[in-house]
Parts: sequence; structure tokens; C-alpha cells
Amino acid sequence: MAITRRQFLKRSSAAAAGGFFGPTLLGNGWMHQALADTIGDRYFVLLFLDGGNDGLNTVSPIDNGGGLLRTAYDGWRNTGVGGINLSPGELSPQAIAADPGTGAQLGLHPGLADLKTLYDLGKVAVIQGCGYPDFSLSHDDSRRAWRTGSPGGTSSTGWMGRYLAANYVGTDIPAAGISNGVPGEFVQSATSVLTVRRVRDFRFPYDNSFRSDIDLKRTIFNDLHESARAGGQPSVLTHIGNAGTATLLSTEAYPALHDTYQLERPTWDQAYSDNSSSTSNDLREVAKIIYGVESGVPNVNARFFQVRNGGYDTHSDQGGANPDGSHFNLHNEVGSALKLFYDDLADMGAIDKVCVMVFSEFSRRIPQNDNGTDHGSQGPMFVIGGNVVGGTYGNHPNIEESALDRSGNTVYSQDGVDSFRSTDFRDVYGTALKHWLNMPHGQILTDVLPLDSGDPAEWWTTENFDMGFLP
Amino acid sequence: MGDANTLLTPAETRHVLKRTGFGLSKRDRRTAERNRKSRGAFVDKLLRAKPKSPRFKGDSFSNAQDAWLIHLSKTKAVLPEKLVLFWHDHFSTGIDVVARTGLMTQQNELLHTFAKGNFKEFVRAMNRNPAMMEFLDTVRNRKENPNENYPRELCELFTLGVKDLLGQPNYTQDDIVQIARAFTGWRYSAPERRDERLYERSEPFFEESRHDFAANYPERGPKTIFTTTGGFGPGGAAFDADGEGPSEIDTVIDILFAHRDSEGMNTIARRTAYRLLEYFAHPNPDLAVVDEVVATSNFDTTWNIKTLLRAILTHDAFYVTAAPAPFNASTIKSVKWPIDLVIGTIRALGMKLKVDRERGLRIEGGGRARLRSHLEEMGQELMNPPSVFGWDWEVAWLSSATLLARFVFARDVGAARGRGRNTFIPKKVLNLRLTDPDAIVDAVLAILGLSDQLSAAEHAALVDYLTDGGTLTSLDLKDEDTHDERLHGLFALALQAPAYQLH
Repeated sequence: MAITRRQFLKRSSAAAAGGFFGPTLLGNGWMHQALADTIGDRYFVLLFLDGGNDGLNTVSPIDNGGGLLRTAYDGWRNTGVGGINLSPGELSPQAIAADPGTGAQLGLHPGLADLKTLYDLGKVAVIQGCGYPDFSLSHDDSRRAWRTGSPGGTSSTGWMGRYLAANYVGTDIPAAGISNGVPGEFVQSATSVLTVRRVRDFRFPYDNSFRSDIDLKRTIFNDLHESARAGGQPSVLTHIGNAGTATLLSTEAYPALHDTYQLERPTWDQAYSDNSSSTSNDLREVAKIIYGVESGVPNVNARFFQVRNGGYDTHSDQGGANPDGSHFNLHNEVGSALKLFYDDLADMGAIDKVCVMVFSEFSRRIPQNDNGTDHGSQGPMFVIGGNVVGGTYGNHPNIEESALDRSGNTVYSQDGVDSFRSTDFRDVYGTALKHWLNMPHGQILTDVLPLDSGDPAEWWTTENFDMGFLP
Repeated sequence: MGDANTLLTPAETRHVLKRTGFGLSKRDRRTAERNRKSRGAFVDKLLRAKPKSPRFKGDSFSNAQDAWLIHLSKTKAVLPEKLVLFWHDHFSTGIDVVARTGLMTQQNELLHTFAKGNFKEFVRAMNRNPAMMEFLDTVRNRKENPNENYPRELCELFTLGVKDLLGQPNYTQDDIVQIARAFTGWRYSAPERRDERLYERSEPFFEESRHDFAANYPERGPKTIFTTTGGFGPGGAAFDADGEGPSEIDTVIDILFAHRDSEGMNTIARRTAYRLLEYFAHPNPDLAVVDEVVATSNFDTTWNIKTLLRAILTHDAFYVTAAPAPFNASTIKSVKWPIDLVIGTIRALGMKLKVDRERGLRIEGGGRARLRSHLEEMGQELMNPPSVFGWDWEVAWLSSATLLARFVFARDVGAARGRGRNTFIPKKVLNLRLTDPDAIVDAVLAILGLSDQLSAAEHAALVDYLTDGGTLTSLDLKDEDTHDERLHGLFALALQAPAYQLH
């Protein structure tokens, strides 16, 4: 039996004898072209703060400057028991820059001390007041707006998905979600997105009672998917053929990334373990994959990643600067995990190739409720990386009572003369697409981020894809 | 072009049975060979099946999930279950928010009650379904600050849709605010025991002091909606036809169901027909087909789901995805839901499932995963959809992680050797006297409902597996090694084939 099986494997075109890596991906011309024209030898990581992060207690006014931000802040955010007020004393060590609109000195939440360290190195862009017009207070609606990059639209594809579809095809796996389902940002059907919780466990399921015919099963499995791909239609069958082959190849490449990383980067591996949070665990998976790409592991090509951290829906028990508070813990978890990831990638010599974008589906209500905050509107984003032009961008939202809407939320504005003008999150996306992912300006508008129509003071009708936080 | 009087071929009959049920049982395959009925007559028989709720037992949420899965694997009334799953996705509600198993099983019974009944009555009942009231905050909707959660989803997901099929808006934010006022004051009586025992029913009730009567809040004015959309004219539609109070949420339903889209057609009838066509027939159905099935069934006046479904199942559009291989550019296929894949496989292979008290409901195979965990990994945990939007269909079902979960399930089924329950016994569905490899592959594909769905190359690949790449010319399936290794292995590979992921 063994001899005939070997003969058969030799005859088979789909399985390269002596190894798992078929001809599908190696030396693939368009793959290299795609890299050269698009992201190049770089990485892009999305970190989604799920639940609605309280922006006012993430980037807070320390003083009034030439306006009234701090006075208004003290009016909305209580001190004492149940209060979530961050005092100037608590914020001062975390001072970043002055708000361009009001001159108020700004500070990061004390839980973000590690992020502040990176900020001081000039590696963090803090982008204030990010949102979109006609904003929704529904988690689902607002997540959909941020994921699709098309607020109010009916698009079923993700904003990064449309970028990927424009630049990649077939069984290549340019993106990975550290998740079970495809992250909404990556949804499309032109190319394969790897979704994996832990690379170590991403193994192909063979029948352990009969391991003798594994090579044969592997060949037949691949033949079935290659045939579906070769048929070329209908597109859904091609998609399954692509995804099946991509999954098979990934199961043969990705689990080893775990072993390699543990073996070759034990102190970093231990540091993530000591950090002991879901964000650091997830970012470690990204680090393992990047380390694999950097080491030239065959069939490991992912350069786009998505990681999610939940728990930001702080309707109650939000807390202030006290390390017991839930918001402090969330910030501390993400800040320290990002710093660790940054240092790890710097040690790998890859940090200049990495850009991390942090966002949430909305901010929270300006007045606090009993001891938390309800759903709100515009909030800050962070962009972090070795090549990021650090600093503070965009205006703080206007939190004075007269400026809030009936619910107590800040109002989205694109009015050019407004010193509280919002930053539309699509300008942040567009800047990354243009300056990090090398997508032509015009194509961003046609393929990924179509402009709104309507009153230019209230809708996103003029783009700014040159915000400056990426060179 | 066919209609309800068109006679069904055996292949079409198999298609009807697959799409209105879960896989093809041995009996289904026999029925398809013998059927001489027309589309209408055959479908009428299927539509007569009475919905029957699962027998929920045990005291945990996973017990309830297992009970539904067991029910799905056994029930003769498959078409109603297929509809219940559609409505579960449509009125998406999940345990993560609802938190009480009894509320979820109570809602499941409601889905069974109305599965093929009157859609308008269905929505009325859903307005005061405790699980839904919990899930979308109706219980937190007070006059001081009307909560828009349920009213928004009622319009957006359950009835009208944000936009009509022409892309025009169906309502405004003001409409939602007004409808939210109608829904103030509703609560439900929670069972007294705080644990998660099943069978305890919760009853909705109306609390006047929490309701937003116009008199209490005159500055809000009368409750009028659809002054700019819906075809009601500039005066819009007012709730006060039946007075204020508990009847308002029924009045809202009357108004919604009279809503007309930008072409003057009934908005809800069109959208519901569209969604059912997507589910039973194929993605992106033509608007002309939508209008035909609504007209044939008078769904816009009767709201009879069963009649609408008959119109769909006898329409040419329903038979589109039955196209045999080889496929071409105009071929349309639809991705199986994970629950279709799992239950369809179990039924096709004649597997008898039983819940193990200690280990839950699982296949005795290669892995240790419970059936519900398989489904969760595939992206479809029953009674816990990802959000109020329900599950994303079609290609969204297929990520590398969820595909891998499908492959794992296939492996576990293939490895489920043995004689007991929760195993796979090939001889129950396959003639083990077959010796010709081609014939064996054909028989296995027929069992899996894939008879005419594989390309010649895919078929050849499976034959290659049986013959070790052409080395063997015949097989003895009664030989223990051949049976346990090759035959079980063949089933696993066929279950992993791309075509098996599609309807």
C-alpha cells in the first residue's frame, strides 16, 4: 500500500512531493506586484474598542486655555463617590498637547500611562473628535458605520475589505482577524481572510484513528478545492475553493509560528503572558504572524490584522482615575498591551513597518449618569507606529451645555470656521489608505470611501486624506 | 417557464425536499424517485406539516439548545422548522442579552406558533414577547425618556426596512421617536424563581403610569407618523384611531402594514417576500419575481405566510439553484447555513442522536466537541445570534475559521465509527455490496444530495481516494479495514467538498 500511495503522490499535480507547499502561492507573480503597489513591506493593525469608549475621559481637558472646556468638564463629570471626574492633578502627568481650537491643555487618562510613554517618543497620533454625520446611538448601527466606512449606507462589505478586493485575489491571505468570524472591516469575497483565535490551534482535522492515509486525504482535499477554483464559476464556488485551499495551507504554516515564536522570543512571549489580558494575548498572535512573515515562512503573508477588545459599554461603574475603576482597567490593559507590542516589534526591527489604528464605534454621553455614561457621539482615535508622526490632531468636541444636542451629546460638524469642527473618521481612514497603504486618492473615493452629499457644514462632502499623521 | 401545475422531475423533487428540509433522508430519496406530482400538489403536502415545538427539558441554556437540535434531527415537520429558523434570524434575539433560558424557549414556541401563520399577527405577538421586550429594551421604555431600541428595529429589521427595494427611505427619525412613545409602559411578569428553570411563562402587561399619554407630555403633541413617507399624505397616520394606551402598539402595526413604498406598493409585503425568496430560493431575487409571488398569494392583504411560501416554492425562481454541474457564469448557488449542514448531514446519514446526560449532545467521533459547539464554531449558535441583525448569510458564513469548523465536523462524522447511538453506520444508508469505485462514489454523493453537483474532476478526485490513485479496481466494503478507513474517509472528504457547502 505504501508504495502505491507514494507513486500516486508523485503523479499528483496538486501536492508537491516531499512538502506541503503547493505551487499555488510560491513565486506567484501578482502577489509580489500587489505588495509593491500597495502596502509594501508593511503591516496595518486595527484595534477595535468595542462598546463605545468614553472619549471625554480618554483625552480630557486639564485647563480652560482660551475657552471653557475644563469648566464645562467639571460641570458634567462629578467628583466624590461614584464620580468619574479626572482632576487636573491626576491628568497633569499625562499631559500631551493643547487643543488647537481652544488652547486647553489636554491629558490622557491616567490608565494610559504606557501610551503616554509612546506619545512622548513621538510615536502616537491622538486624533480628537472623530465621528460621522447623523450619528447613531445604536451599537449595531454605529459599528456598521465604522466597519463599512459608509455611515447610513447599505454596503455589506468592509472598508478594508474593499481595499483588499481591489488589490488581492485568490487564495492569498493578506489579512487575518484574531477572531472567529471575519472582522466586519475585512468583509469581501475576492480574497481570503484568515480568521484564527490562536495560531497554535489552527490545525487541519485529520482522523486520528487512521493516520496512515493522511497524505492521500490531503491530496484529495486539495484536488477537490483546486477543481472548484479551476471551474471559475459560480463565484461562490470559486470563493470556497480559494478559501478551502487557503485554509489548508494556513493550517500547515500557522501553528508552527507559535512554536517558533516561543522558542526564539521567549522573554517577549513571557512578557505578554505576564501582562495577562485578552488584548495582549491577541496582539501576541499578531506578533507571532508578523515574526513569521519577517522570517520568510512560506504561505504566511498576512499584513492586515484586526483585534478587538470589549467592555467599553460603561453605563455604570465606570470609575475615574482610581485603578479599581473599569475604565481605568480597560485603558491600562490596552495601553500596556500596545506598549508591549510596540517594544516587541521594535526589538524585531519591524516597528517602522507597523501602523496600529485604534477606534471605537462611538464615544459616550457628556453628562455622567449615576456612576457611568450612556451612548454618545464623537471620540478620539489613536494611530501608533514607528513611522507615525506623533502629536495631537483634530479639535476637542464642544462640551458646553449650549452646544450639546437634546440627549446631551456633542454635535458633529464639518464647518470650516468652527473651532470645534469634528474629524470625520473617513478622513483618518483615507489618510491611512493613501499614506500607508498607497491607494491612489481618486480610487479611495470611488472604491472605498464615497463622499456624502448634503450641507457641507453638516456632512462629509470634502475629504482630507492628508491629515499628516503618516508621512 | 413553469408554474404550480408543472410536473416535478426526480431531480427537482430532491431539490424541493432539500431546500424545504435538512438533507435527503433515505425516505426522501425514495419519494423523489416515485413522485409524479406537480410542483403545487407536492408543495401543498409539505406545507400541511404542523409546526411542533421542541420538548425543552433540563434546566440550563445548553439543555435548551440541545433539545432544539435533537428535535431538528428527528422531526417529520421539517418545513415548519426551516421557517422557524428563518424567523429566529428575522426576529433575532439572543440569550447573551435576554439572560433567561425560559424566555428564549417561550419565544421559540411563539416562532413555531406563527411560523407559517399570519405575518401581521406574528409581529403583533412579537411586540409583547417577553424575550424580545427584554432584548430590545421595551421593558426599559418609560415616558420620561422613550427608548428607541425596539421601535427602530421593528421598522428597520422586522417590517419595513430602512429603505424600500428601490433604495428610497421608508421612514424618518421622527417616526421612530413617535413610535417609541407608543411602546412606553410595557413590562412583563418575571417568573418568581431566579434560577433558569424552563417552563415558567412570563406574561406581558401594560403599566399606565409609565405610558406616554399625550396629556402627560403635551409638549410632544399628538403621535403622528409617516407625514413624508408611506403614502399616507402630508397628514400622516395617527395612533388615536383606537385611542391611547395599550392598543397603540397594535395601531402602530396596522399603520406599518398599510405603508406603501416609493412605487406605491405595500412595503412590508415586498420586503418579506424578498427575504423569503433570498432564504428559500437564491440571493438577490428580481423585483419582478417579488411582485409576482406577492400577487399570486395576495400576501399584501392576507399576510398568510403559508400561501406566500406556496407561491415561492412553485415559482421558477425557486428551482434556479438546482442547476446541475457543469456550472457556468449564470449559475446561481446559495451557501448552506451551518444548521443546514449539521442537521442535513445527520439526517442524510441516518444518524440517531441522543443527549448524554454528562457530556451533552455530541457525535462519538474524532473530536470531543458538542454539536452546539460545532455550530458555534461555524458561526451559528442557536438562540444566540451575534446581534439583532441576525446572522450574515451567504459568503459571510465562510471564513477560514468557520470553514475549518465545517471540516472538523466532517472529520468527526467520518470518524464516528461504532455501533451505538451518536455514531455513523454506513450500511444504514449505503449498499455495502457495491464494489465498483465509481458506483460507490455515486451512491455516497446521492446520499449527501450531491448527485449532479460535482464536476468530473471533483468526482474523479473522490474515486482516486477510493482506488488509491487508480491502483485498485474494486473494493470490498465489507472488509473491516476498507470499511473503517476508506469508506468512512470517503464520507468525510465528500462532506468537506466545496459543493457540499452549497445548497
